[in-house]
Amino acid sequence: MFYVIISIISGVTIVLARIINSNLGKKIGNMQGTFINYITGVVTSGIFLIIFRNQINFPGNPLQITQLWIFFGGFVGVLCMVIANYITPRMSSLYLTLLVFIGQLFTGLLVDYFTMHELSVGKFIGGLLVFAGFAYNSIVDKKKKEATE
Amino acid sequence: MNNFLAALSGILLSIMITLNGFLTNQYDSYTASVIIHMVGLLSIVIMLIVTKSKIKLQKGTPIIAYSAGALGVITIIFTNLSFTQLGVSIPLALGLFGQSVSSIVIDHFGLLGMRKDKFDMKKIIGLLLIISGIIIMMVL
Repeated sequence: MFYVIISIISGVTIVLARIINSNLGKKIGNMQGTFINYITGVVTSGIFLIIFRNQINFPGNPLQITQLWIFFGGFVGVLCMVIANYITPRMSSLYLTLLVFIGQLFTGLLVDYFTMHELSVGKFIGGLLVFAGFAYNSIVDKKKKEATE
Repeated sequence: MNNFLAALSGILLSIMITLNGFLTNQYDSYTASVIIHMVGLLSIVIMLIVTKSKIKLQKGTPIIAYSAGALGVITIIFTNLSFTQLGVSIPLALGLFGQSVSSIVIDHFGLLGMRKDKFDMKKIIGLLLIISGIIIMMVL
């Protein structure tokens, strides 16, 4: 049950962080807001590292690791944040959540399919249903907009 | 255009999660989180320098306005913890549930400076489809 609760909370913190950061971006600039976000992130994750591990395990020199590309996640994260800062004030929070999820889920399914040659049926059908829900409600919105115009 | 950007950021997120997953396997989740944020910080510093942007902090900004980075770290650690116990699909589905519910509340009341977008009862059908999608992801 504990893990169920923290899973749900992690969804809530994603939404809160996205909105708070886009508000900061509106005030001081998109990339400047992203910069502040990463400063806070480095400090917080450093504190967690000290509390929970009290040692840093570097298997040798990171620069000698041949798969340097595994370090690029942080860069991709910055791109995501700059896009999120731009788009958050421009659309409903629910639709943003759903579209990001759909993009993420189906890319994940493609990656799994091509790297491990397996397709999760549950995630595929579930994703289609989430997309159908998004599409249905978008049409309701569109009709309402047309009716008021 | 907005819809396209939203889906694009989902695609990028998926790539990011894959890369960060490899990194977490090499180190541990706490060390990986520090590395991910350091690389991110370095990237944004380079982007700021290249675009010749300046940073001006405004006085009187409440501390909560700067808290997003800390919330992001909490998100990472919570998801890492639940992935180790519940596998991949269940935290994914539960996370979407948490995101959807908090988004609906924020949209409905226009919280945190977001535009107010009251929940229309006609949209309950779409919501039921979404919830059934979440359940199927968890059980199938």
